[in-house]
Amino acid sequence: MSSASLRNPSRDGRRRVVITAVGSLSALGDDEAFGHGLAQGTSGLGPLTAFDLAVAAERGADVAGCRQPQAGEVDFDPRRDLGAANVRPIDRTGRLVAAAAGRALRARGWSADDLQALEIGLVLGTMYGSVHTISAFDRRGLEAGPKYVKPLDFANSVINAAAGQTAIWHGLCGPNSTVAGGLTAGLQALGLATELVRGGRAAALLAGGSDELCLESYVAFVQAGLVAGTSTGAHGDAPRALPFDARRDGFVPAEAAALFLLEDAEGAGARGAHVLGEIVGHACVFDPRRGRDPERAAATLRRAISDALADAALDASALDDGAIDVVSSGASGSRVVDSAEAHGLAKALGRHAAEIPILAVKAQVGEPLGAGGALQTAALLEVLRRGVVPAIHGFETADSGAPDLCRPTTSLELPPRETVRRGLVTSLGLDGHAAALVFETLDRAPRPRGDAP
Amino acid sequence: MTTPRIVITGLGLVTSLGTGRTAWHALLEGRSGLSPVESFDTSNHSVDLGGEIKGFDGASACRRVAPQSVGRAGRLAIAAARQAADDAGLMAGDALATRWAPERVGVAMGTTSGEPGHVERFDDHWLAGTLARDEGALAWLYPCHTIAAHIAEELDAAGPNAMLPAACAAGNYAIGYAFDALRERRADVMLAGGADAFSRITYTGFARLGAIAPERCQPFDRGRRGMVPGEAAAVLVLEREDDARRRGAEPIAEVAGYGLSCDAHHMTAAHPEGDGAARAMREALRHARIDADAVQYVSAHGTGTPTNDKLETRAVRTVFGQRRVPVSSVKSMIGHTMGAASAVESAVCALAVAEGRIPPTINFEEPDPDCDLDCVPNTARELPVRVAMNNAYAFGGNNASVLFRRID
Repeated sequence: MSSASLRNPSRDGRRRVVITAVGSLSALGDDEAFGHGLAQGTSGLGPLTAFDLAVAAERGADVAGCRQPQAGEVDFDPRRDLGAANVRPIDRTGRLVAAAAGRALRARGWSADDLQALEIGLVLGTMYGSVHTISAFDRRGLEAGPKYVKPLDFANSVINAAAGQTAIWHGLCGPNSTVAGGLTAGLQALGLATELVRGGRAAALLAGGSDELCLESYVAFVQAGLVAGTSTGAHGDAPRALPFDARRDGFVPAEAAALFLLEDAEGAGARGAHVLGEIVGHACVFDPRRGRDPERAAATLRRAISDALADAALDASALDDGAIDVVSSGASGSRVVDSAEAHGLAKALGRHAAEIPILAVKAQVGEPLGAGGALQTAALLEVLRRGVVPAIHGFETADSGAPDLCRPTTSLELPPRETVRRGLVTSLGLDGHAAALVFETLDRAPRPRGDAP
Repeated sequence: MTTPRIVITGLGLVTSLGTGRTAWHALLEGRSGLSPVESFDTSNHSVDLGGEIKGFDGASACRRVAPQSVGRAGRLAIAAARQAADDAGLMAGDALATRWAPERVGVAMGTTSGEPGHVERFDDHWLAGTLARDEGALAWLYPCHTIAAHIAEELDAAGPNAMLPAACAAGNYAIGYAFDALRERRADVMLAGGADAFSRITYTGFARLGAIAPERCQPFDRGRRGMVPGEAAAVLVLEREDDARRRGAEPIAEVAGYGLSCDAHHMTAAHPEGDGAARAMREALRHARIDADAVQYVSAHGTGTPTNDKLETRAVRTVFGQRRVPVSSVKSMIGHTMGAASAVESAVCALAVAEGRIPPTINFEEPDPDCDLDCVPNTARELPVRVAMNNAYAFGGNNASVLFRRID
């Protein structure tokens, strides 16, 4: 798609917000490997190697049920991505974010001078920042004495450390904001960044999410009964992430960073950007019952979706006209959240629920926490670009009593479109948050050679 | 369609100098809320001064949320939010009045550390070999988004719910978020502010940086020796002015606009020319369409560290030139309350324009040529302030300025 498609830079008097580059690192690899792995149905999950849960068991943690711990790890060499400069002051979350940001900025082709002139911003969604950095700092103070804690660790103990470090690394002087929202943080960050562009506060912003895999959060998820294979003490086969599947018993903890470059459409056109798509609507709402009542949780997701559609100037009747081609869902294999997500989607999509194919990328990348919504958006972008929706990895059978949804078991080709293709991204948190985003390609995307037809 | 004006209709403050208007009056009196730290052992530190809120428990403010599931920052936040909601007349008894659909009431909060007490407990269990007793608290109770979530559960607020951990500028980020949510009509009422609890981790970090003052906090004084970590929560109720008037509420002050910037320079040190700080101030003025000459009071970040106050002076002079606009720091009295600080100081600005009184910078003795400002030394000042600016700077180079205007 070219800048020629940006004939109308505003919509209802608002600045339009386009995506002009992506940078991501996940268990499926970096950007190209992600798209390829997604299409091929590859799993990025495997045995946990980043740390040894036995260390936590020695400290009295109850992790015995987790016999074959699995994880979605990023195979990441900071030197390859961040060059020879000293990365020591930056913790893993920060390195992942700086690397993803570098990929997006390189993809856009901007020089350091361009970056300075544009005062690029950064909005990062995260659940933890780095709870490992904070905990390690505190334990060193307890074990060695407060005079022996590391000032570098303290600098990184703030939850906005990754966003701050990435701004320093790449010289990003614009608005810099960190959004915590548990599993919905990534979508919340994209929503906030959209508002900052619409409000004229930044011509260009990187936005998305990140969290790292670390022992502290992994142990907490195991002890909270949230991890696949823990509650059933899976014998034999390694536990799997099985979104929407009746056999699911938890998520597979993962790490990732995914950032999009958002620009105002007019500016992007003037700067000759290659536009990948447009964020046309978003919403974030809350369930004061904190997800404890499944019906209320589902209704909250439905509300997020209808608010996001309304923000995109689409009403319920738009669904009758095929307004949504694909849904990129946050389902991860969680017993409770996936069920609420299924019911919420069914309510929001109404009689079209059984027709609109659903993506569940967490089956392949695990639960990357604050990066989830951003990776779901990256997956949606790939699917809209290729015109093919992959099967939900590992999915066989829905719960009895689950609503009728289109959960592909083989890849599905999207019907041809002469106008826009549009997708919905949804995210439901563990304790009350729900977020949704509406994304569209500006016109029919050219398909890469070799893809049918 | 004209752009709606956003006004403050209620305030909630929980500080080491008391709550609500009591805290405001103590700030005007120039009292200090600092005292020796009691919540953990400081015998291995060379300093022991802190801004703890002694005797605060907060369980009584939790009427819907189970208090045992809420950390100290969350309890401070809930207490401040209840006060603010009562002050604004949002409540009918313990519950949100039926005038508001819960879906139209949102929450935006800032913090530096969230609930670090849960990490400290995890680490204590780690050392004791009793991690099983932690029961997944780092998954359920620690993540900082729970602070905004607890407020929403407590007040039945089902609208936008955001947690912005922009470290020591976080309160201003949250107010900016709420401002936009109201202007864009994503909500009819927003509770916005910040909360941080006193913590071993934070205290140890600042002590290791050598940043903590041994006896008192003296922003802008030549002999200043550092900041003092504190704790607090502050929440502002924001609404569109026409909505507030329609229900007969008396707005306290207008939020006129805000500006954000990033130094992109250093994690813990400000830009040597105060570049990012000046850009945030100018962005706020541009956004609010207010001329720098109209600003009559600046609530400084003013931590009391040698570097901050010097660079902040430089940034203020860059924006305001030679004009000696009064600039004071309430951190001289309650210490640096981290993510709550700029929320507390926003409440201070709102009350300053509402009442025409400016709180002082206490412990000021000797002027510093590097801090050549009118820092409202030691005594509050009567001054009919029409426009006030609140500045906040944070680790990570996150800067935010918010402007407040008197309701005429």
